[in-house]
Amino acid sequence: MAETKTHGRHQFTLPLLAIVALILIFIFKPYAVIYGVQRGSLYALIAMPLALTLGIVGILNLAHGDFLTLGAYIAYWIFNSTGLDPLLSIFAVAPLLFVVGAGLYKITVSKVLRAPLLNQLLLTFGIAMILEEVINLIWTSRPRNVYVNYASASASIGGFRFGTYEFSYLLAAVGVLVLLRLFLKHTRLGKAAFAVGQNPKGAKIVGINVEMIYLLIFSISVGIVGIAAGLTLPRMSIFPLFGSPFTLKSFCLAAMAGLGNLTGILWSGLALGIGEALVQSIEGYSGWSDIVFFGVLIAVITIRSYRGSYV
Amino acid sequence: MKKFLAITLVLALVVLGVAAKVKPIKLGAVLPLGDITGRQAANAMKLAVKEINAAGGVLGRPLELIIVDDEMNPSKGAAAIDKLATIDKVDFFIGGMSSGVHLAQIPILKKYQKITVWIGAASHLCEKALAGADWYFHLHPWDYQQGAGYAIGWKQILEKYPQVKFDRVFLAYEEGAFGTASYKAYLAMLEQAKQGEGPYVGLVKEFKGESFKSAAFGGGDYRAVLRLAKEWNPDAFIWAGYDADALPMMAQAKEIGFAPPIFIGAPPGWPADFGKSPLSEGVVLYGMWAPSLNKVSPVAEHFYNAYVKEFGEEPATYFAPLGYTNVYFLVEGIKKAGTLEKEALIKALEQVEYESPLGETLKIAPSAVIKHQGFTTQKILQWQNGKQEVIWPFEVQTAEFIYPFPKWEGR
Amino acid sequence: MKKLGMLIILAVVALGFLFPLYAGPYPLHVMTTVLTYMALGLSWDMMLRTGQLSFGTAGFFGLGSYAALLTTLYLGLNPLASIFVGGVFAAIVAFALGYAILRLREIYFAITTLALAGVFTVVARNLHDFTGGPEGKILPSAIFNGDPTKVYWLTFSVALGSILVSELFQRTRIRFAITAIRNDEITAKSSGIDIFKYLLFVFVITSAIQGVVGGAYAQQYGFVSPESAFSTNFLLLPIAMCLAGGIYSTLGPVIGSVILGVLSEYLKLRFPYGHLIIYGVIIVAIVLFMPHGILGMLKKIAQKTRTEVGGNENEK
Repeated sequence: MAETKTHGRHQFTLPLLAIVALILIFIFKPYAVIYGVQRGSLYALIAMPLALTLGIVGILNLAHGDFLTLGAYIAYWIFNSTGLDPLLSIFAVAPLLFVVGAGLYKITVSKVLRAPLLNQLLLTFGIAMILEEVINLIWTSRPRNVYVNYASASASIGGFRFGTYEFSYLLAAVGVLVLLRLFLKHTRLGKAAFAVGQNPKGAKIVGINVEMIYLLIFSISVGIVGIAAGLTLPRMSIFPLFGSPFTLKSFCLAAMAGLGNLTGILWSGLALGIGEALVQSIEGYSGWSDIVFFGVLIAVITIRSYRGSYV
Repeated sequence: MKKFLAITLVLALVVLGVAAKVKPIKLGAVLPLGDITGRQAANAMKLAVKEINAAGGVLGRPLELIIVDDEMNPSKGAAAIDKLATIDKVDFFIGGMSSGVHLAQIPILKKYQKITVWIGAASHLCEKALAGADWYFHLHPWDYQQGAGYAIGWKQILEKYPQVKFDRVFLAYEEGAFGTASYKAYLAMLEQAKQGEGPYVGLVKEFKGESFKSAAFGGGDYRAVLRLAKEWNPDAFIWAGYDADALPMMAQAKEIGFAPPIFIGAPPGWPADFGKSPLSEGVVLYGMWAPSLNKVSPVAEHFYNAYVKEFGEEPATYFAPLGYTNVYFLVEGIKKAGTLEKEALIKALEQVEYESPLGETLKIAPSAVIKHQGFTTQKILQWQNGKQEVIWPFEVQTAEFIYPFPKWEGR
Repeated sequence: MKKLGMLIILAVVALGFLFPLYAGPYPLHVMTTVLTYMALGLSWDMMLRTGQLSFGTAGFFGLGSYAALLTTLYLGLNPLASIFVGGVFAAIVAFALGYAILRLREIYFAITTLALAGVFTVVARNLHDFTGGPEGKILPSAIFNGDPTKVYWLTFSVALGSILVSELFQRTRIRFAITAIRNDEITAKSSGIDIFKYLLFVFVITSAIQGVVGGAYAQQYGFVSPESAFSTNFLLLPIAMCLAGGIYSTLGPVIGSVILGVLSEYLKLRFPYGHLIIYGVIIVAIVLFMPHGILGMLKKIAQKTRTEVGGNENEK
């Protein structure tokens, strides 16, 4: 009950503080804001599906980032064999990953749902290992790239010159967030999924097909990663361990936002992205940028625990 | 227990199979087989062994190569030395890649004191740990030697191409061990130069460095450091990172409109598609080898063709020719010594002059700490029309130097 | 029955202790690594028994590594004593941090411990003059001059110590407190158990073990660097070994680390390329077919044979 009260207060103070901070940063380090928003959106885009699985299916998927790698290699393969633009290939990659997710769920994940908690952790650890190594065996550890000239395009406003491509991360993150929220709040299936996330036993009693919901949510999550895969391919090098750092980042964002809070992930992503970019822009101290990420995360979680949000 | 049974079984089969003929000379290699560098170095070693055996072996005995994966893990790499020494009973250790793995192997290598010829591990910390080990031969230039080598190269380039400027140098280095070592080496040498010593005297007048997080470890946003470099306006911009940083680095430099007169990349390898991108044109790189050496070196050409024929893929990193060199160098020494006896062989290896596929002759000389160092310089190359062309040393130059770095417009 | 069990345990310990006398350097080296992971796995499992999932194993391991190596390097401390310092240092840090983070539960605790390990790494990497920065620091020689037998006995003692601590936790009063916390915190609270005190106690002890293991590892090879000391290998592999062996017990992590550790080495020699794929498949198979780990499976088989034989045993 205490939770709803604090939430009410947060709704005003936090965004207000954030906006003031943002304006201040923008005045002194405008590029840090631009770069931070771009990278932060990407973190959020990749973290949202992880949080979705964590919140509703209750699985911490250690192979999450490796699905990103897999998706990127599929897009790369499509590009090399058909010449299809990586952005367009999203329409093939995302459904393909959805199917991969469904298959994996059926074969493995569904078997461990009743097993002791944490077994899923070991399972996804094994899956991550298999994915990384199979990719390494097929494509070797040598990085691959796709070059399209729009990925390094830039625009100038006044004296500012900044890259435009990475704003697609922001668009995608907001788009996915809106669609997911619409789905969870306004469709029958989505409402059922939401109910399962809140109380799986209760949901079962009311006649919701919990198994089916789990399958759907897990597959959708993996599918969304496919969108990120297509978006990042023109901009980044891909290699067998390309996606795995994103698992940790996603996990951090999900925890920082609090379970079940998808909108919070976008805010957290932006905050951490800007924080990182800010430190990177300070001469001689760029090596400390990771500490912002971890520091902010620890601060937010502990402060909230003292407020009694989730002890 | 099953493992030991299996190993003894395999061993017994090998022994039975060969005992009928002559006892082979055993080379034990430790390499990271999951990485392209280690995989290709292993392939190149197999190729060299095959060639040598086809020509009748050494001292009338065939070579046998046993390769163990170090999985880029220090304790696995160290255990691999124990395995090769006691289970396979190899005569020599070869191989090597990461300095971190090697640091864990050095105490074990010291235990056996077998003749060791190593092609990786460039960190000066490794050299420090190997002080006094006269059985140890190191072929790859140490980190500080590489920096010194570039200075020699650039001085000669400045003489040949008087329009080139190399006064203000900016180094963007990845924040891990690899990049930081490179940065510290530059700082030390420039400090020396101030006192009128070392290779950098009269070369670099101003120097600035800043770190970035490599894409290989989840980073990959270089815009902050690129922007800093752009404002500083250097004559030459160098980045010391990994292959995964290569193309994104160029794309982001284009994005912010940063095109310094000399754009240098110094990763240990290049991504598969780098040459295909128009952004690669004019990028200078430091490396030990390039396929274009085929035009000027018959050994390089022979190696390249044989490798492609054997494995159906191009050698993509200089660790391939280096692995090939690793085996041939040792074999030349054995031939010269006429024996496997340690002292005699060390003496012979000190005198070997092997014309390597890297386009230069390998000769052993002392370095700062150890007695037996092989190569000391890397080459200066340039990406032209999607290929790496050698600019320096001029004896093996394959193309003219493009200067300045072409503008971004139209790419 | 009990006597027989004790005898078996003593025999296994003796076999382990005398391992260097009948095994060559290579199996010895592999077992030393296995014992390192075993001790880490046990410490992680002990924390897990309180219901707290920690991802800080590699972090405290790294702290211990640095503390041990740097005290030897700068203060000339005896390597053995420095390993102890590694443990004490990790314990002090855990004690201080415990106050702030042990109020957290579930994934919030897990992610915070993981983030703390991240902070340690960044600090170690950026204090160039003190820690050697990203390149790390080396000692003139490894502990015992690299004598593999002594190194093995050192690691063996550390692992044995962890086993003893783990058994103490299982057999003394602490166990009831811990199990009560894990199963139902509210009831535990109302029955008068000072949850926080127990959690802090367990957190400090397990972190100290991780620090000692880290110190021993750093001294074994005579070098330390952020990449090697805070490697996720020291986080994920011990967890995998515990889960594969069976959690909430002493025997589970012991079995798991021996089997997975030896297996990975065997696979590597047998299949130079792609051995990690097989390793991954085996891990997945363990989860799917042995949901309670190898230990759980063994217990089940033992139970079955017992009931088939006659079922006159009264143990459950």
